[in-house]
Amino acid sequence: MADLRVNFAGIQSPNPFWLASAPPTNSGYQVQRAFEAGWGGAVWKTLGEPILNVSSRFAGTHFNGQRVAGFNNIELITDRPLEENLKEIYETKKRFSNHAVIASLMVEPKQEKWHEIVKRVQDVGVDGFELNFGCPHGMAERGMGSASGQVPELVEKQTYWAKEAAKVPVIVKLTPNITDITATAYAAVQGGADAISMINTINSLAGVDLDSWNTIPHVAGKGAHGGYCGPAVKPIALNMVAECARHPEINVPISGIGGISTWKDAVEFMLMGAGSVQVCTAAMHHGFSIVEDMIDGLNNYLDSKGIAALDGLIGQSVEKYSDWGNLDLNYKIVARINNDVCINCNKCHIACEDTSHQCIDMLTSENGNAYLEVREEDCVGCNLCSIVCPVDGAIDMVEIPNGEPMTWNERQAAIKLPICNS
Amino acid sequence: MSSYKEFLKEKEKIDELYENGYTITHVREDLSGAFLTFERSKLDLKNKEQRKELQILTADARKYFSNLLIANQKKLV
Repeated sequence: MADLRVNFAGIQSPNPFWLASAPPTNSGYQVQRAFEAGWGGAVWKTLGEPILNVSSRFAGTHFNGQRVAGFNNIELITDRPLEENLKEIYETKKRFSNHAVIASLMVEPKQEKWHEIVKRVQDVGVDGFELNFGCPHGMAERGMGSASGQVPELVEKQTYWAKEAAKVPVIVKLTPNITDITATAYAAVQGGADAISMINTINSLAGVDLDSWNTIPHVAGKGAHGGYCGPAVKPIALNMVAECARHPEINVPISGIGGISTWKDAVEFMLMGAGSVQVCTAAMHHGFSIVEDMIDGLNNYLDSKGIAALDGLIGQSVEKYSDWGNLDLNYKIVARINNDVCINCNKCHIACEDTSHQCIDMLTSENGNAYLEVREEDCVGCNLCSIVCPVDGAIDMVEIPNGEPMTWNERQAAIKLPICNS
Repeated sequence: MSSYKEFLKEKEKIDELYENGYTITHVREDLSGAFLTFERSKLDLKNKEQRKELQILTADARKYFSNLLIANQKKLV
């Protein structure tokens, strides 16, 4: 059994699996049930000035029979009284002293507002704060959430103000609705953040109903953009975590959020530098008990790798992530079709012929059987054929020895050098 | 024609120049491809033509001459 305990910027939890600030952490009842189920921490649904919510609020994006490939919401921060939330946080922390209870906060970008809410929430014994600079809908129209999270100066200032009053670690949760998330991550670090978390949800419109022509979801026939999350956003979130993890001046722990549904997703985020992971959509889809598989899976994985604790996992793939200009232009892989496994559906041929490099030939053997063959010299190793192939093991991407490494950056430096030939 | 065959044609031209003592001394690239200047040693008095130009169009040939260039530069260091 590996040691799954986490010390994230000073916040202790029995495992790295935290519920993200969202509907699953709306009340003490829910958070306590989540802890009973095995979650190591919870980021309480965002506390702030009183708000009002609408009905309806959520929409799922289903793709080819897969329910909730993505998830869209237009729900705002908590609409429950602050006093009630504080009482339940206190009770929850008293009952689960070893679990991490982090309060998500959102107020207007004013120093006195941040001081007030930090002090009031701190008094009930939270383990840390998460500043919500990410929610893209509703609150952003009032200058909070992603509206302030898109402006590095506001991120830095608000982090600084929260830190002025905070006696526990401050995590800054970042919006992905920005071109370069490292700019706001760096601003958070400059403001004194103890850690950062990402990603919050992505601006989205889930769909339009083809009969009523209403947006999905709609509120009495009108819609507004929501925040997108769930499995579909995982690659976007993973990249943003990795970009921050490899940034030399963003040297604080990262809590990874965005489409994490299984222990495998969690491992990927941890390999790319996440010191803890936060989950929402998967819990909303399948319930709190999914954490059991996450814990078991992570444990078994670490045991199989001979890794005793999470420190042996976190950040191990960061150095493998770089700029395109540092990739080896001479590295070559080609597709090889295993004709004994191939079912001759021709999807690889069609994909290659229509949309890639026209290097898969449809041939007929001497005994009249149709088969497919890759002209390896013309194959650029794009992977498309193996991606569209419906049969595991029918197409292998095989590495071909191709000389010394040469990157684009090295090549550009070389062709600019004046060359003497006398 | 397969892109590999196009590459081979350009590779042959580069190899031929190298076999005749030329090396790449200048590379210019624009929207029409790469324009290579080849030169050979001025000490080789038997050969009157010291300089040749070659336009390279295929991506693989651009990789190929880049590898040769880097290999030559490493030799000179």
